[in-house]
Amino acid sequence: MNENLFASFITPTMMGLPVVIIIIMLPSMMLTSSNRLLSNRFHTFQQWVVKMITKQMMSIHSPKGQTWCLMLVSLIIFIGSTNLLGLLPHTFTPTTQLSMNLGMAIPLWAGTVFLGFRHKMKSTLAHFLPQGTPIPLIPMLIIIETISLFIQPMALAVRLTANITAGHLLMHLIGGATLVLTSISPPTAMITFIILVLLTILEFAVALIQAYVFTLLVSLYLHDNT
Amino acid sequence: MPQLDTSTWFTTVLTSTITLFILIQLKISLQNFPNKPSNKYLKTLKLSNPWELKWTKIFSPLSLPLQ
Repeated sequence: MNENLFASFITPTMMGLPVVIIIIMLPSMMLTSSNRLLSNRFHTFQQWVVKMITKQMMSIHSPKGQTWCLMLVSLIIFIGSTNLLGLLPHTFTPTTQLSMNLGMAIPLWAGTVFLGFRHKMKSTLAHFLPQGTPIPLIPMLIIIETISLFIQPMALAVRLTANITAGHLLMHLIGGATLVLTSISPPTAMITFIILVLLTILEFAVALIQAYVFTLLVSLYLHDNT
Repeated sequence: MPQLDTSTWFTTVLTSTITLFILIQLKISLQNFPNKPSNKYLKTLKLSNPWELKWTKIFSPLSLPLQ
């Protein structure tokens, strides 16, 4: 049962060819581009989404932070579309792979840290020591603040991985349980309902993207502006 | 846990980096958001051309040098 349960998280290869490349690049192929003033519904919807995200997220940044607009918008669209496509049955969700999430989290976090160091060196270093600490506690507090800084990218990556993986696993488990119970007792209608509710709640995986990008955003904001 | 099998990590990270940093940003940067259409400024601006206040005799075609 263990083998079966985790089988959907193996990186898919078809006869030795890494199909995972195509799977990761698929959501980007669904983004359309058009030069017209009034385009079709699909493109208008995408434009509206991008505009809404931009307005919502970039309003709190200084002009220096707003140069990251394209990066953050594409980040949220990438993770959102990947997670949503993974909710379809029998699909592979790349964001369940710790490798990909680490590959996204570490460069972006490092970028914000280096930006803070380059432009506001003193205030970035000053973050390691909060105001008003008693003198004997200073060395320990600096160590603690350093650890909490370095744990940020790990937390970002592991948070996303664990949430999506756990949701998918739960859906597999409950679906399997429903199938088995159908032949045994009909109050499985209740379990099917639980699956439906879980699926709806899991569609708030999109909310997880919000969490991801917002934490990244907060980090950028803190490093850059304060 | 199959996510911890590091043999596939290189492919995944490379593909996701290329997708995120190049492909999607290209696609989104191709979207343009034109300004709302507004009325064109129809009143012609009055320009002051002090050299054309008078039509002088030297502009008459008969007085121009023969070509």
